[in-house]
Amino acid sequence: MNNTFTLFALIFPILSGIALLITRPQDRLKRNRFVMLMVCLSSFFVLGTALCSALNGPDAVYLHVADLSDKLVIAFRPDGVSLVFGGIIGVLWPVTTVYAFSYMAHEGRENLFFGFFLITFGVVAGIAYSANFFTLYLCYEFMTLVTLPLVMHEMDDKARAAGKKYVLYSMTGAALVFICLMYFLRYADTLAFTYGGILNMEKVKGHEKELMTVFVLAFFGFGVKAAIFPFHRWLPAASVAPTPVTALLHAVAVVKSGAFAVMRLVYFGFGCEFLRGTWAQAVVLAASAFTVMFGSVMSLRMPHLKRRLAYSTVSNLSYILVAFASMSPVGLVGGLLHMVFHAVIKISLFFCAGAMLHHNELEYVYDMEGLAKKMPVTCGVFLTASLALMGVPPFGGFLSKWTIGTAAAGNAGWAGYLGAASLIVSAILTTLYMLSAAVRFYFPLKSAPLLPERVHEADRLMTGPLVYLMALLALLSLCSAPLSAWIGGLV
Amino acid sequence: MLILMVFLPMLAALVCYPLCRNSERAWFTPAVVISGAVFAMGLLLLSEPTLADGIYGFCGNGIYFKAGGLRTVMAVLAAFMWVMTALASPEYFAGARANGRYFLFYLWTLGALEGVFLAADLMTLFIFFEIMSFTSYVWVVQNETPEAIRASETYLFIAVIGGLTMLMGLFLLENAVGKLSFENIAEKAPELSPRLRYTVGVCALVGFGAKAGMFPLHIWLPKAHPVAPAPASALLSGILTKSGVFGIIGVSCWLFDGVPGWGNLLLVPAVITMLLGAVLAVFSVDLKRTLACSSMSQIGFILTGVSMCVLLGEHGSIAACGAVLHILNHSLIKLTLFVAAGVVYFNVHSLDLNDVRGFGKDKPLLKLAFLSGALSIAGIPGFGGYISKTLLHEGIVEYCEHLAEHGQSALPYRAVEWIFLLSGGLTLAYMARLFYILFLAEKPAHQHQKEKYMSPMTGAVLLIGGALMPLLGLTPHRTMDRIAAYALPFFKREPMARAVAYFSLANLKGAAISVTVGALVFAFVGMKWLTGKADGHEVYRDVWPRGLDLEDAVYRPALRALALLGGAAARLVETCGALLIYGTVDLLFLGAKDRVVPPEDRQFSAYEKRSERGRIERSFSADLLYAACGVLALFALAAWNMLR
Repeated sequence: MNNTFTLFALIFPILSGIALLITRPQDRLKRNRFVMLMVCLSSFFVLGTALCSALNGPDAVYLHVADLSDKLVIAFRPDGVSLVFGGIIGVLWPVTTVYAFSYMAHEGRENLFFGFFLITFGVVAGIAYSANFFTLYLCYEFMTLVTLPLVMHEMDDKARAAGKKYVLYSMTGAALVFICLMYFLRYADTLAFTYGGILNMEKVKGHEKELMTVFVLAFFGFGVKAAIFPFHRWLPAASVAPTPVTALLHAVAVVKSGAFAVMRLVYFGFGCEFLRGTWAQAVVLAASAFTVMFGSVMSLRMPHLKRRLAYSTVSNLSYILVAFASMSPVGLVGGLLHMVFHAVIKISLFFCAGAMLHHNELEYVYDMEGLAKKMPVTCGVFLTASLALMGVPPFGGFLSKWTIGTAAAGNAGWAGYLGAASLIVSAILTTLYMLSAAVRFYFPLKSAPLLPERVHEADRLMTGPLVYLMALLALLSLCSAPLSAWIGGLV
Repeated sequence: MLILMVFLPMLAALVCYPLCRNSERAWFTPAVVISGAVFAMGLLLLSEPTLADGIYGFCGNGIYFKAGGLRTVMAVLAAFMWVMTALASPEYFAGARANGRYFLFYLWTLGALEGVFLAADLMTLFIFFEIMSFTSYVWVVQNETPEAIRASETYLFIAVIGGLTMLMGLFLLENAVGKLSFENIAEKAPELSPRLRYTVGVCALVGFGAKAGMFPLHIWLPKAHPVAPAPASALLSGILTKSGVFGIIGVSCWLFDGVPGWGNLLLVPAVITMLLGAVLAVFSVDLKRTLACSSMSQIGFILTGVSMCVLLGEHGSIAACGAVLHILNHSLIKLTLFVAAGVVYFNVHSLDLNDVRGFGKDKPLLKLAFLSGALSIAGIPGFGGYISKTLLHEGIVEYCEHLAEHGQSALPYRAVEWIFLLSGGLTLAYMARLFYILFLAEKPAHQHQKEKYMSPMTGAVLLIGGALMPLLGLTPHRTMDRIAAYALPFFKREPMARAVAYFSLANLKGAAISVTVGALVFAFVGMKWLTGKADGHEVYRDVWPRGLDLEDAVYRPALRALALLGGAAARLVETCGALLIYGTVDLLFLGAKDRVVPPEDRQFSAYEKRSERGRIERSFSADLLYAACGVLALFALAAWNMLR
């Protein structure tokens, strides 16, 4: 039975996380071994599911859990686009775990952290592999709740405020999505994802305007997690969380879930045919394009490195949203491609920032001048990842931006051109905010060495994942064309 | 072979870097061998004008290369420049730090530049153009002085803005014509709407013009060249700027073939660059800055030739030949002059004209090489520069005649001709001034000088560079005409119908006018106004007003204002989302009384310093409870629905 793989991919991490929360082992080595084993196994199941689906088709791994009514079905069916997202989290979760061992040793309360960390893995896999909007919605809500303890891990005033903000914003988004779910129940025959849309056009007739309004609401609803303006504020606030969380959840898993859900909504819910060329498309495209620029501008103004990266994430997520909002197959490919590249790049950047913060208590960009002499590996990775994020060829980021740009420009109309233009402006700003940090590591402007003596390179458990991620990035960049073709074939 | 030419330097540099990163001299042999290998491949390429190659799928759309025409000429020229500067480098970099780094980026830039020149489509060109911008940045910042860091930032910023503006153009173009190969663009170009065509053209012009040092994007050039190491300045000025010119030629001759409007559009910045560069050079008191401004001016000459080529349509062969040959001459001249400037610098450790005066008094080789370069760039008959300037001048005259034949007013183009001759005169003036100061003026009392003022290797480079100029200039039909004819297919022009009589009276007249202007400017401005006397020796005054700097007066303040405004606006709108959400919460719980969350609950109570007005929940755990209830209710509803 192939679908036992699917079942295990979801249940295994959740159960092991709960087990960790209950048993609370005190010995660090034992705990780390247990967590590593469980994460690797879960990752094996997640990737295995993806592989089975790729080989035997999505129906071979279809997992039916329960029927609540004829339309409200809880089921999982990893199809083509799921594989991309599932692949990202399956590859990146173990790396982050290794990194987190070293990082969390000083933060304390590791049982709590790793317990929820494992549960989140299962839930995000659930989002990636869900078969219909109802399952997606449930997993989506559940994710908000299980990631909350991770955001509030430090439990000081800042962390609590961030946690509250996170919940408040997420619930607002969920409420907007809920409206959409109700409309789907009324105007669609099924909630299962169907490429091209699920709306029953006979029922829709006469209600187009209403449905478009609902689409815009739902776009922003899911967009909350993808930090679309004006619902982006939780993300920079949440950068108070421990770095493994900011790196994996707030640059990859959670925020990409938002973008992924938007993709489901556009391509598998309302359908491009219904939306293309309408005012609804113009609104969401313009909002995404605005967020792209807005995030970059804000990022440039942030001297705090992690917050700068967080705003950069805001901007880059909206690249993906611009791609999806262009509502063409090219846009879908571009968006998924940028999901992959941005995931690898941003997680590396956050790891670097974490290494600087954790080992040397360096938080602000202006304190880091000349750091490359003390932390050569970390700074090297940071520079490489910066170049990739800027989209300098031949790094992969270039191809994804190019695809998104052509998708947006190919979409006739002022909003499409606005999207392409925002990409260009944002690329200039990206250069400014990334290089103004990275170049200073190598060419300090202040002549006297300001770094204290104690500053030193991060330990192996941190630099190891960094080097691994760079190898991954190089591999992906070299194979970017086959990757793009493969994703194009999945759609 | 084309792929090898591009990637051999890049990969070989990676392999060699770990071996010689900490050594001062170990990089020298690999640098010469690798660039020599590229040069040899380039020479082989000359006999294969139709070679094409590519890597499918690299960087997504694949990269494609093509040989022949201007491409091969530029590729060979670039590799030649690299070999020459590599030979002159060991002496210059003796005792310097981080030589390994310089060497790594030196070879990477060679690979990227070959990629630009051999590109078969605009996409490939763009990719290597961007790589080149970033790798050459390290050259500029190499010395790590505050000036170098500031100048390199300007360089990088202009390069990135230019590159991305060009990318926007490529988005639009690809959308309209599909594949971006030059042939495809030329085929589909006439069908494009003029608006789109010009938008794409201007975007590309900004990108290429930024690298070429075209007004108003020239600001990086006079700052970056003086701070870079001298061999790097020779390359930046001699060949890297030409990559921008190459791109402009590509756009002009393939996207805008025979569109007079484009020719006029290009002519305006070209003429301004030509004149402004020359004026700046006259006023400069820094040896390398003078040479850098001179480069800017010469780029203006070349671009004037390109725009004349577009304006003349199919009759533009002469202007095209002029542009090609001026590219070639200028590269070789700047090689000689910058290497000579390097010799001055590592002896005197200064570039200020007041410190270096009289340095070359008893150094015949340096003197002759410098003189050859100076005469050539000033367009004195018998040297290479005269040939190309004559052709460029011919191009303008031909267009004036062409307009007169059709009964149109040629007045603006007559003005261009006069500016052309004036700029030529200014060229002579500033080069004469440099020569006078370096070789004829009195030496200051204390001037550093090494035991042997230059090594034989540097001397050989100067000798080759200096000898090439009269060699080319005296045999124009045998050498220069052939090179030009070889390059012309890239301009899509036929070879010249008749051989130009370079030494005819009409052509010598143009040179004579320039020489007269130059002599007058040298005598009255250079020697009188800009030269004063103090303590019995000459002082070279810097009379250029400090405030008259486009970068400091306009660009940087504008950027700062933009950042400030953008930031303020961003902050303002950022509160929108928060207002929306918190406002709604406030509205919902308008009637509720203020509550102080219980302080005894350490875990989940005061999670914000300031307590919020109008919250109904007692603590955070209550919140979670409500949420759970909601989910349960949903389940119950669904279950009930199912049972029914």
